[in-house]
Amino acid sequence: MTDSGASACPAVEFHDVTVAYGRRPVLWNIDLVIKAPGLFGILGPNGAGKSTLLKAALGLVPLVGGRVTLFGRPLAEVRSRIGYVPQRETVDWDFPVNVMDVVLMGTYARLGWWRRPGAAERDRARAALERVGLVDLAGRQIGRLSGGQQQRVFLARALAQDAELYFLDEPLAGVDVRSQERIFRVLDDLRREGRLVVVVHHDLRTAADWFDGAALVDMRLVAAGPTAAVLTPENLRRTYAGHIDVLDELGRAVARGGRTA
Amino acid sequence: MTIDTAASMWGEFSVMHAWAIATAAVVAAGCALVGTLLVVRRMSLLGDAISHAVLPGIAVAVLAGGRPGGVLVLVGAVAAALVTVLLVQVLRREGGLADDAGTGVVFTTLFALGVVIITAAASRIDLDPGCILYGILELVPFDTVRVAGWEMPRAFLTGATVLMIVAAGLAATWKEQLFTAFDIDAARAVGLPVAAVTGGLLAATALVTVASFEAVGAILVVAMLVVPAATAELLVRRLHVMALVAILVGVVAAVLGYLAAWRFDTSAAGMIAVVLGLEYVVAAIVAPEDGVVARVAARLALGWRVTCEDTLALLWRADEAGAGVAPQPFRSPGEWAAGLWLAASGRIAREAGRWGLTAIGRAEAETVVRSHRLWEAWLGRHADLPLDHLHPPAEWIEHHLGADLRRRIEADVGAEESDPHGRSIPREP
Amino acid sequence: MNSLAAIPYNTLVVAAAVAVVGFASGVVGCFGVLRRRALAGDAAAHATLAGVVAAFVVTGRRDLPTLLVGAFVAAMASLGCLVVIRRFTRTRDDAATALVLSVSFGIGIVLLSGLSARGIPGAGGLEQFLLGHTAALTATDAITLAVVSAAVVLVVWAGLKEATLVSFDPAFAAATGWPVAVIDYALVALVAAMVVVGLPAAGAVLVTALVVIPPVAARQWTDRVPTMLILAGVIGLVAAVGGVAASAAVPRLATGPTIVLVASGLFAVSFFCAPERGWFARRRGV
Repeated sequence: MTDSGASACPAVEFHDVTVAYGRRPVLWNIDLVIKAPGLFGILGPNGAGKSTLLKAALGLVPLVGGRVTLFGRPLAEVRSRIGYVPQRETVDWDFPVNVMDVVLMGTYARLGWWRRPGAAERDRARAALERVGLVDLAGRQIGRLSGGQQQRVFLARALAQDAELYFLDEPLAGVDVRSQERIFRVLDDLRREGRLVVVVHHDLRTAADWFDGAALVDMRLVAAGPTAAVLTPENLRRTYAGHIDVLDELGRAVARGGRTA
Repeated sequence: MTIDTAASMWGEFSVMHAWAIATAAVVAAGCALVGTLLVVRRMSLLGDAISHAVLPGIAVAVLAGGRPGGVLVLVGAVAAALVTVLLVQVLRREGGLADDAGTGVVFTTLFALGVVIITAAASRIDLDPGCILYGILELVPFDTVRVAGWEMPRAFLTGATVLMIVAAGLAATWKEQLFTAFDIDAARAVGLPVAAVTGGLLAATALVTVASFEAVGAILVVAMLVVPAATAELLVRRLHVMALVAILVGVVAAVLGYLAAWRFDTSAAGMIAVVLGLEYVVAAIVAPEDGVVARVAARLALGWRVTCEDTLALLWRADEAGAGVAPQPFRSPGEWAAGLWLAASGRIAREAGRWGLTAIGRAEAETVVRSHRLWEAWLGRHADLPLDHLHPPAEWIEHHLGADLRRRIEADVGAEESDPHGRSIPREP
Repeated sequence: MNSLAAIPYNTLVVAAAVAVVGFASGVVGCFGVLRRRALAGDAAAHATLAGVVAAFVVTGRRDLPTLLVGAFVAAMASLGCLVVIRRFTRTRDDAATALVLSVSFGIGIVLLSGLSARGIPGAGGLEQFLLGHTAALTATDAITLAVVSAAVVLVVWAGLKEATLVSFDPAFAAATGWPVAVIDYALVALVAAMVVVGLPAAGAVLVTALVVIPPVAARQWTDRVPTMLILAGVIGLVAAVGGVAASAAVPRLATGPTIVLVASGLFAVSFFCAPERGWFARRRGV
């Protein structure tokens, strides 16, 4: 088993996780343990299944094999301790909601059915907005924000969830440098508060500086552990030089129910 | 003249029925052809919209003196279709409306407008709203014209003419239509007049819609546009074969639907739509590869192959472990059946009170075990997995590795003689 | 006041009921439009004809509640067909919607036409469900429609945050533990209910306009969901009442088309005159 450093408990455990889209496997037999607290990066080429791995942890895609435990328990029991920032592409920016509306959504799970957000929820939302520096834009419709501001809104929503474990999917993609640093500082604060932040990240350069632990994923787990140990030239070659043509062909054969050539 | 009196005038099959069927068939063929392109280009709902929106165009044309099915009406319909598309685009650009919302606004408005015009001018237009919605195929043979000495229903003439125009137009521009349908951005990039191609398709849609109006009305036109193409899409992949299959599906529905309506004494247009629906369901069930039957059969076939291969591999490993082990491979009914087949096909045989592999069986078993151990080696090399986690993936993948990929993997893992557990990897038989 | 007293009680009740139906349709339609699934309601609407006729054939009764129950069953069945098609075939969503819409309408026409060909009494009135016809509504029926509509509005209002969350970001909703599929089906069922309730007023062919046009018009005026709901409700109300009143002026004219034209008129006004999103406002560079 690989681990990601310091003390404390295993917060995220993937046991032999295989995920398929349709009948075609896209993630093969992932075994990974991520310990809290920390700032952990999931790295790899485009289309490698990094987002899929995150979604598997959150129960957003079905598992063909294996299981995921969070804090040693199945997802359903610990949802209230999990925060999530999805990829920005999936959002409908024309939707008639403003910044405050979106951030308040982070408080909904704790409110439960039928109850409306009240003063306490608004305060939590405002505090989250202050942390990301957007409290002045609380009334603006989300389509009227810059890329960096949009990303910070969704980060604020996750902060409003007040979770112990955060999953972020490419939070820094297409974001200007200043916003990137701002976002990173928020994530760093979370780590210092004793939480675990798992980030799907696209940029290897910043990865070395920011994350204490990392996993290299390319349809299967290539390596995981302390960042410096993982980002070796050998590992990077194994990931980015692409041996996934094997996995690609196999995936297609599995989907067909037959053999490869 | 009502449907009842008309029906009583027939009694038995006569040339009237033949003309009605011919009209339906000709109209169905035109719709199926156009519909193929609409479906592939994800413009089915636009086809739905156009079939509703042509109503005011027809109404205005008739008010202006056009005869039903005449040139003025066709022109009015095409104009209405183009107005529809234009409005949807304007709403998207200027109002930020999503396409489905914009389409919903435009076609309901235009259709409502058409109904209001027709109702208000009822004294001058002889179009009944019910007829607009579902046509009067049964009465079509009674409205005839004389063409070159032949007496034929006017609706048939319109339908046949439109079919010829549309077929000719689409055949002439087929390559462009194909390209635009599959990759509109690439088509634009190479300089294809995409707007004109699309405009031509929409004009064709308007034409076949109007031609179908009398036969099946505005809403069932949608069935004739979309369902044959959707059915064909389930069965074949290439676009021109799809078009031909769609035409066949549409014509069959026209014939069977009409006959069924006659037999059950109900609306022909409705029956045609129902038959189309049934054809779609049948296609979904029997389609090769994707159909329900095919998928179930494939799953069963895979399960069978896996059981057979697992049995062979079990016997091989027992041999490898040593003579003292008597394998018990046949515990479940599936394994028993596999065992019978393997024995019957000469892959296993009973000697000295226990089951063993024949030469053929041994070769196949070695293929499976080789696949298994090669995959463990590959995983051991390329994936970060602990030793005791290599077996289950290999158990799964051993049934899916082919000879070519095995050779490549062998080259990759350095022609190692043994898997990560230290067991030797059998050579390629 | 005098002229109001001169209007028969029945007409007043029907008008009030139609107002409530219009309001509820506008409210419920907002979520379909916001989720880019505006035309799923159309498939349900066209299926209602078969449901209405089948209810008559099976029970022999022609009272409105029976017919509308049949319509609702057919509407939900058609939406179920959409789900099955999406799950088991390669057919794309737009083609599936058009397919279900037209084939289910064909079934309805077969049933309706088969009834009238056999001269079964009472079948004639069913044609009114095609394009809408409120003149034959009794006060009791009208009150039934109004009550159902009011209930739908209450459910939407109570579950507003859940509906908004699931419409805006279903992935986040699922990740935070909300049963997205259940809420989805509930929203779909509400749209189906309003499509059915709107049948007497607008008819199967055009009732979808009542759930599409008011929300689209309301969106032009506001950037907040609660405001959009209320505005869509008001626009739907005005369209429904205005349409019914206008069609009363021309006896042969069905109510469906007039309701749609009033709604479109209101949309056109919104399209041009809304502040910020309106055409004039954008020309002025606001």
